[in-house]
Amino acid sequence: MTAFTWMIVLPLVASPLVYLAGRLLKRGEQTVRWLALAALVVTWVPFAFAAFDLDANGPEAVTLGTVALRLDALGLLLAALSLALGTLVVLYSGPYLAAESDQEKHYASLLAMIGVMIGLGCAADLFNLWIWFEAMAVASFLLVVFHHEQPTSLEAAVKYVVQSAAGSVMVLLGIALVLSQTGTLDLAAIREAAPDSRMMLAAGALFVIGFGVKVALVPLHTWLPDAHSQAPSGISAMLSGVVIEAGLVALLRALGALAGVSASWGELLMAFGALNMLAGNLMALRQTQVKRLLAYSSLSHVGYMLLGLGIALYAKESAGAQGSLFHMLNHGLMKGLAFLAAGALLYALHTATGDHRPLTVADLDGAASRYPLTALGLSLAVLGLGGLPPLAGFMSKWQIFMAGFETRNGWIEALVVFAALNSVLSLAYYAPLVNAVYRQKPSAAVREGQPLPALMTVPVVALSLAVIVVGVWPGLLRWLSGPAGDALLATFGMG
Amino acid sequence: MSALNWVTLGVLGLLGAGLYGLLITRNLIKVVIALQILVKGALLALVAAGQASGQINLGQSLAVTVIVADTVVAVVGLALAVQVKRLVGTLDVKALSNLRG
Repeated sequence: MTAFTWMIVLPLVASPLVYLAGRLLKRGEQTVRWLALAALVVTWVPFAFAAFDLDANGPEAVTLGTVALRLDALGLLLAALSLALGTLVVLYSGPYLAAESDQEKHYASLLAMIGVMIGLGCAADLFNLWIWFEAMAVASFLLVVFHHEQPTSLEAAVKYVVQSAAGSVMVLLGIALVLSQTGTLDLAAIREAAPDSRMMLAAGALFVIGFGVKVALVPLHTWLPDAHSQAPSGISAMLSGVVIEAGLVALLRALGALAGVSASWGELLMAFGALNMLAGNLMALRQTQVKRLLAYSSLSHVGYMLLGLGIALYAKESAGAQGSLFHMLNHGLMKGLAFLAAGALLYALHTATGDHRPLTVADLDGAASRYPLTALGLSLAVLGLGGLPPLAGFMSKWQIFMAGFETRNGWIEALVVFAALNSVLSLAYYAPLVNAVYRQKPSAAVREGQPLPALMTVPVVALSLAVIVVGVWPGLLRWLSGPAGDALLATFGMG
Repeated sequence: MSALNWVTLGVLGLLGAGLYGLLITRNLIKVVIALQILVKGALLALVAAGQASGQINLGQSLAVTVIVADTVVAVVGLALAVQVKRLVGTLDVKALSNLRG
């Protein structure tokens, strides 16, 4: 057992303990919340050791029984993202869910999901990758349907479960094809042995479809706006900020093993990227509910990530991948902030009064007058997502666009211009949010709103600072995104 | 026809039946059953792949692991169906279409 295996094991061990504590202890609600937070804070210790180890000695492989794990910089980036957002979400969910029953189920599933996502980033074997992926899906099903007395939550969960399950069957078929052609499941060994055959190409297509459901590649995205808007707000932040990115990492690992089968994976990713940007933005424009709007905006941000990754694979240069993974981190911060801030307002305006209506854009009118910090957080988040300098989102988009221009390929340059125009288009739905919060007369909902618990504003303020600081000093996260970009190319055998 | 061809035919048949079921049924329990049929097709494919690549043990142990993982998903699906029946009063998926756009 080395440092990075502890990073996976700790949350997974804590998960059933938290559940039992909630069931067996009196006043378990308070206990589980702090126990879950403690487990995640402790997990940062092996994370720090793993990060230093990786920096000093390079990627390390461990095999526990039949579980093959290998920590590279890409896995470390996913671990950092899920731990950072997870810790803040646990802190936030305390007051957010204070009135709900069965909170131990929420915290146990959340811990399990975090541990599993860290493990997914470290999977070195195709079948292990599927197991982690499936476990992540099951944990997220339970979290999406946490409000199981709401018919809309059930509807969202049914769509999510059915689409995810169908997607995971596609991945399994792909694995069967790869196994029958190469006789091995080790990702690096498959890359060496993969014959350039139609069967392997079919396996690649099955991976794109199967993992693509979780990444929300248009047109496999239809579950996402429902699930992300119906989940508790902390979970919306996790789903949008980390879970779809974990799906993307899984897709990249699987395609990386098939790197030799086709030379056009990069082009494929860019095409999906363009589709995602456009569809996400156009759908977000029509939304009146804040959380649905944010969910659709995740689609377009997956598009930017895919564009950067596609550019990197096309040019065989890591600049695009570094920008794209930097955007993955930034999107986690910004979308996490957006969902937590919107969730805080949803709580203050509706949930705290026992009302389960969704938060609409009209409800936000004048929110800044009563909830200045939260309103500022939401504004910073959406402006950052729109790509306004000097916020975090601008820096990573800029890095992706620069990498695109450096390819000196007319098609890719046109695609980058298209992405920049999409960024402008996205301001058409972000700006009205800021306008409503600051420039309108307070709505009835705001005037009658409940005060916000202080603990709920702590994560919002922390993420707001992070979005500004990363925007002003983008080099701060380079130790994560730089090596991760190189590791990604190495996954495709190009590094 | 060789044994492998028959198995391939079986895999395709199961997948076709599962997909067809998913498309035509509106009953939640039947949706779960259709998903199970799909997974059974994938299981057969895994075992056949192990056989074809000369690693029968590997293919079969993968299949057993998949059975465990996929049972968990089926349990979640059925639990959802129970809750939907309790809350909405019907298992018809049509009754669950309030989230749009």
